[in-house]
Amino acid sequence: MNILSLFCGADDFQEQLEKIRPKLYRVAYSWSHNAALADDLVQETLVKALKNTRQLRDPALLNSWVFSILTNCWRDHFRQHREMEDIDELEDYRCATHSTPEDDHSQSQIVSRVRDAVAQLPIGQRQVLTLVDLEGFPYLEVATILAIPIGTVMSRLCRARQALKTLLMELAPQHSAQARQIRRVV
Amino acid sequence: MNTQNISDELLNSFVDSELALDETGEMFSAIGRDDALKERVCELRGLKEMVQHAYHQPPINKMSPIKKLSAWRIPQIQNMPRLATCMLMLLLGWGSGWIMFAGSQSMGDPKLAHLLESAQSNDLIEKSGNIIVHVSNSNPVRLKTALDETENLLGSYKRANRQVNVEIIANGSGLDLLRSDVSPYAKRIAMMKAKYPNLDFLACRQTINKLQKQGIIVKLLPHTGFANSAVEEIDKRLHQGWDYVRV
Repeated sequence: MNILSLFCGADDFQEQLEKIRPKLYRVAYSWSHNAALADDLVQETLVKALKNTRQLRDPALLNSWVFSILTNCWRDHFRQHREMEDIDELEDYRCATHSTPEDDHSQSQIVSRVRDAVAQLPIGQRQVLTLVDLEGFPYLEVATILAIPIGTVMSRLCRARQALKTLLMELAPQHSAQARQIRRVV
Repeated sequence: MNTQNISDELLNSFVDSELALDETGEMFSAIGRDDALKERVCELRGLKEMVQHAYHQPPINKMSPIKKLSAWRIPQIQNMPRLATCMLMLLLGWGSGWIMFAGSQSMGDPKLAHLLESAQSNDLIEKSGNIIVHVSNSNPVRLKTALDETENLLGSYKRANRQVNVEIIANGSGLDLLRSDVSPYAKRIAMMKAKYPNLDFLACRQTINKLQKQGIIVKLLPHTGFANSAVEEIDKRLHQGWDYVRV
């Protein structure tokens, strides 16, 4: 293998990372519900992936390897910013936007309701749920990515879906009963 | 398979296609026999689809453009002369920067100082001349650095006879900067406000409400303005073309 083919290999690797990037962003956003933070996490993950390319022994495991880097970045973020006010800002954002007409409108929409419900899940459950539902990872890979036993993956997923079901019922528009009544009259 | 003994874990595994072929077959026949089980499966599938739908198009970060991954690409051999030139430029830049840094007497936060230095570049002066400084941390060193650098910035614009508007917005624990009972820089802020009429201090109303709910009486320094929310104010200013610096 000459040095040029080495560089070509690096190019392929970067192309593969570019393809994974939207998936990483979607998952990072579903964990943080903060676009700027999700963006930072993805950038950090990609930089680390590029720096530590040699650690990836089996190219078939690229996806789960990159997502495990994202998990570490997310964990590091919480360790480093334990005393910072980012969570307050998130709450500020919620409070500020709750009162706007656009937000009132979007709250009635399924996307906002589901995102609100997912955001209320404990982070461990949120991670498992999004890795399974959004990226379709098998339970075993989720266990590898998050470095937890597969039994924990299954129980967290189960609890997450139960909680989500309850939350979505709570968040459902209150006028549904009235709508049903109108239908009966018609 | 007894349909009443089917756990939620097993149903989840079925919905996520985690079961072996024979188990999947048994599950299908159990679902066919039991309407309640069918309903539970439908609910789980519905939840899964709702989650997928909710994050199908996550919002794009407007605060910073996405850096191209190609920016980190390993340079190819044919680009070596270009790389050598870049390295030379980088060394020159680093050298001049180091000399300038050694000459300066500023003891402030290097990250913030760098941000404000870039904000003082001619391009930005000509473009906007409006800067919003976000303080969300009560670390006294950071608060002092924010005031030092803002004052340097305002001074340099004044000396150059150029107009600049600076808003310092505080939220979270950064609100301590503007609280009359806890701010370590009350006098300095009053002096700065008197000296620079184009400098405003704003407090986040959401943070104030939060503190009041905790039973803390919030007294602010005189002439402190209010913003409904720090994030809302920053977003508004960014849309108006202001430059954003976070401490």
